Amino acid sequence: MAVLSSADRAAGCAKYMRDLCAARETIGPALKADLQAAFNALDAFMDANAAAVNNAIPLPARTVLTVPQKARLLEAVIFQRYISGA
Amino acid sequence: MGAFFPADSEAPASNYALLNSRNGHPTLEYDAAAEWATNFTGVLPRNYGGGGLTVTVHWMGASATSGDVKWGGSIERDNANNHDLDADAYATEQTATGTANGTSGKVTSTAITFTDGANVDSLAAGDPFRLKLARKAADGADTMTGNAQLIAITVVET
Repeated sequence: MAVLSSADRAAGCAKYMRDLCAARETIGPALKADLQAAFNALDAFMDANAAAVNNAIPLPARTVLTVPQKARLLEAVIFQRYISGA
Repeated sequence: MGAFFPADSEAPASNYALLNSRNGHPTLEYDAAAEWATNFTGVLPRNYGGGGLTVTVHWMGASATSGDVKWGGSIERDNANNHDLDADAYATEQTATGTANGTSGKVTSTAITFTDGANVDSLAAGDPFRLKLARKAADGADTMTGNAQLIAITVVET
């Protein structure tokens, strides 16, 4: 999978901002362009390291889970590490 | 001249600001990525002297404590035997940009000025009218992250 298109990156960052607003979280001195740059950088990072993330999943999960299911697994790990109880 | 509040908003068919609240204060939420707008209907008081109007938007950043919001206001005169109200007929949009307060929850007031005549769609004293207010989220001058929360609009003669 290649990096997201510009339109998808914009849509993803827009959703991120809406989620932050819904959670009533305060954002420090960062502008829309700063958040977009951060989103784009993480998208590029995921693209460059997708194989490594996949290889970190042991068998049989690596072959049993679909790509969307692996994505949700990664989301669950990140949530538990950094968001839950934060 | 008058004031409008979130409860007075009239949503267009799509891409409209959303009603919400913050600590019990009713708000209209304007998205940071897509241009959302809403309409307000009023009547220009009979004491209007032709000096033009200043529309002041009172708003907060929902999550941001920096960055600018660009507001766009446009007026449609709805007097007798004028526009067919089955279609929008707003005058040219006028804009103004304001900066979010450095403290979350504090209000910023941003004034949009309309000169008399074409800017206000030739609005005259006693005329019904609509005011459309949009956040120009796609404009490069609009830099604030997250929603802009409108709490009130005041309209005075300039």
